[in-house]
Amino acid sequence: MLKHISGLLLLLILAAWSNPTEPTNDNADSENILPYPIQQKTLDNGLNVVVVEYPSPGLAAFQIVMRVGARDEVEAGKTGFAHFFEHMMFRGTDNYSSDEYSEVLKSIGAAANANTWLDRTVYHMTGNAKMLDKMFEVEADRFMNLNYSVHDFKTEAGAVKGEYTKNNASPYAKLGEKTAEVAFTEHTYGHTTMGYWDDVVDMPNQYEYSLKFFDQFYRPEYATILVVGDVKFDDVYSLAQKYFGMWEKGDFKSDIPIEPEQKETRYAHVEFPGFPPYLELNYSSPAFDDQSMDVAALDVLSTIVFSERSDLYKKLVIDEQKVRYISGGFFFTRDPYLYSISSSVVNEEDMQYVKNEVDKALEQVKTQAVDETLLEETKSKLKYSAAMNMDSPSSIAGNLAFFIWVSGEPESLNNIYNSYDKVTAEDIMHAAQKYFVPSHLTISTISSQKEGGIN
Amino acid sequence: MKTLNKIILLLAGIILSSTVYSQINVVKLKKTGSPKIVVKVRFQNGSIVDPIGKEGITDLTASLMMEGGTSTFTKSEINEMTYPMAAYYYSNTDKEVSTLTFAFPKDFVDEFYPVLKGLILTPTFEESDFNRVKSNTLNYLTQVIRASSDEEFSKKALEEMLFEGTPYSHMVVGTVEGVTSISLDDVKEHYVNFFTKNNVSIGVSGDFSDEFVDNLKNDLSTLSSNEAVIPRMKAVEMPDGINIKIIEKKEALGSAIFTGYPIDITRADDDFAALMIANSWMGEHRKAYSRLYYKIRKIRSMNYGDYSYIEWYNNGGRNQLPTTGVPRSSNYFAIWIRPVQIADQLKEQYPELADITIGHAHFALRMAIREIDLLVENGMDPDEFEKTKQFLRSYIKLYIQTPDKELGFLMDSQFFGRENYIAELDKLLENTTLDQVNEAIRKYFQTQNMDIVIITDDSESQALAESFRENKTSEMSYADQLKAELPQDVLDEDKEVESYQLNVKSVEIISSDEPFID
Repeated sequence: MLKHISGLLLLLILAAWSNPTEPTNDNADSENILPYPIQQKTLDNGLNVVVVEYPSPGLAAFQIVMRVGARDEVEAGKTGFAHFFEHMMFRGTDNYSSDEYSEVLKSIGAAANANTWLDRTVYHMTGNAKMLDKMFEVEADRFMNLNYSVHDFKTEAGAVKGEYTKNNASPYAKLGEKTAEVAFTEHTYGHTTMGYWDDVVDMPNQYEYSLKFFDQFYRPEYATILVVGDVKFDDVYSLAQKYFGMWEKGDFKSDIPIEPEQKETRYAHVEFPGFPPYLELNYSSPAFDDQSMDVAALDVLSTIVFSERSDLYKKLVIDEQKVRYISGGFFFTRDPYLYSISSSVVNEEDMQYVKNEVDKALEQVKTQAVDETLLEETKSKLKYSAAMNMDSPSSIAGNLAFFIWVSGEPESLNNIYNSYDKVTAEDIMHAAQKYFVPSHLTISTISSQKEGGIN
Repeated sequence: MKTLNKIILLLAGIILSSTVYSQINVVKLKKTGSPKIVVKVRFQNGSIVDPIGKEGITDLTASLMMEGGTSTFTKSEINEMTYPMAAYYYSNTDKEVSTLTFAFPKDFVDEFYPVLKGLILTPTFEESDFNRVKSNTLNYLTQVIRASSDEEFSKKALEEMLFEGTPYSHMVVGTVEGVTSISLDDVKEHYVNFFTKNNVSIGVSGDFSDEFVDNLKNDLSTLSSNEAVIPRMKAVEMPDGINIKIIEKKEALGSAIFTGYPIDITRADDDFAALMIANSWMGEHRKAYSRLYYKIRKIRSMNYGDYSYIEWYNNGGRNQLPTTGVPRSSNYFAIWIRPVQIADQLKEQYPELADITIGHAHFALRMAIREIDLLVENGMDPDEFEKTKQFLRSYIKLYIQTPDKELGFLMDSQFFGRENYIAELDKLLENTTLDQVNEAIRKYFQTQNMDIVIITDDSESQALAESFRENKTSEMSYADQLKAELPQDVLDEDKEVESYQLNVKSVEIISSDEPFID
């Protein structure tokens, strides 16, 4: 955490010292996973502007990444609020009513939307690069001047309830809610981004709180503007300065509870007859840090142990056909979250067997160094996979946004791939020993039984 | 091409005809400097070629081709070879085509090619892979589709109802009985008969050489030379009145709604652009500026969104932009109303609604249908017409942001007898007049006849069925705190909507176990 704050301070200092027309671009010459320079520079109010000039004639992806999400919902009864607030951001200002804002989007011909998750809220639009000025104008307006009525607030709450309703049809959604609740006793990762049903139903009564929420979080220090496509850095920076330069800086910081160390295996279960049996092993995972060998090693390990090429996959999916699929991995998050190994099991009575086989595979990676050739091939796979995935302004922006919200630094994209390159067999063994610990495990299950019953 | 389709569609019954290509058609999309090559191998077959009693065999065959080994490599060897390349490949079968997509880095073109070639030309079709893929398909059919997303469930159930008696009726993955009866020998025979050099076409994007394409073309010409016998879709009968199927299940929080009636228009027709403008205004997919969304979600906060369609939109719950590989010669006009609240939930949340017997499903449907009627009656506003046209001209360019999507759209273009659908559509949109749009609205939009599927909680089904059968007034049940602030014009409109007459002919309640069996 301290590291991120230092990084931000450093950026601010650099910004103050550098010529306004010369953005920072430290890694442009090295062999990066993103073959285009990431140019960035911070406005005086703390708003960072990130640009990747990418050859997509006439097209640009424009995103505003807010480092606020379900993680910031520390107050009781307010779960799901960051997501609800994302909805309210489409409810208009004095300059552009909600309908007028929609009309502008329509006139731009853009694909625009927003989404919220644990650590962030992202507002994105992809469209005609020549319309960037208008995009900046309407986005700056709502980020600074959002103004909705109590009635609009209550009305929008109904749409959130509708979203919960559609999601709730899936037993996986029900299990996800339970798993989070069981795995975290203090930290706000203990509730889902959607929030609890009771809190969602109560949202219409939270108008006053919504004003406070906007005032605290919708400030430039929480935001990054990201533009990828047929644009020039200087033009984008000028637009940012013109439209967002007067955005007033805030001083609020969420006080996120620290999760105490888990001391024993925990259990989450959904009884659901007539649905494929499901087993998920959730181990506490590390917070993201692009220099951490634990983070990089765990990611490399996931590919080795759970890909279709792995011994475990071959045994359980192909040869024995005990499971329909198995996968393992973790999301990069700001605080420690969950490393999840998920599996759809063919027969309910095999769930314990599958768990035991996963245990064996994890034990092996804890005690035996992985083959050097396999390790090199895995690094190759990770690199080619990323390179093939970044073939449009939207996909590049999506990749960068991830690192902007998780570390505050888009260069983390290049840095983490450099870290993968440095991972050794020993790092992998060390990370496995450190993180795959029974006392840090939450076992989640769906079956026809009243209890999960898996040890 | 267009005339031929029309003639075929007008004829009743399944007409057997064959399409023979003198040589394999290739779409090349050169992207110099791109690190990725994408190859799409398309077979004109799809689930419409599934024999009766073997529903699902085309999808199963295509899946098995991608899930097994080749005459040269076992599945495990392929997994090991392709691992450092991060190459991936998959099949996608729809009603009328199956597409095998291969994506791999340009750096590995020579190493990956033998795998690609082997999977298409010499798939091993091993018993153990067959059992695994078949078991997964049955699992989807018997459990997953019925208990994961009520929205997806409602769409597939609607197609089964609307296309009953046609080759479009069963889901692409098949029926429970159909898949159960498929043997490995059936699959091998199906492969020889329907994955042939006579119904294959190729698409390649990326930084490839001409030699690569020539080799691929030559190699694919060694596919089976059987003449694939493709049944054409017969004309789909217009439903008689509004027919509603309510699928009840336990512990549903809401009512998921999907409607449809056949329309005789596809991307091959020039007036598709005109109808697209009308539809975009009425219910553009996942857009806040369309009419249905505005009325049902934005003003009344009844659900998460409401949209309309003039062609199949694959996996709309996940995709914000249309996918490729799902070209169809038979379309229907659809309204998608995302889950609305049921009475039990509303009563629990708001004491003032203690007396209601149904939730919002009846009202929401009435509202959507009335909006279609109003459009047919009044035509499109000139200003809205211009705005929507300009929007679409920009928006369709976003359909083809990646080389993969661009290639997919080019291949789909050919299905409709077009060279480049997106480019041609832009021109068509540019030249479309308001009169043409209004003519298309009158020609294709109506509300008297349609099929409707509603997935809902078993606490709601009986009362909802009765409400539809008797065309009962369905007063909009707002929470008091919301109602108090609603403008009078909204409340006045609600009055119109709550008793809006629907031409309901039949209402049936079935259990969630019943669809997709045979």
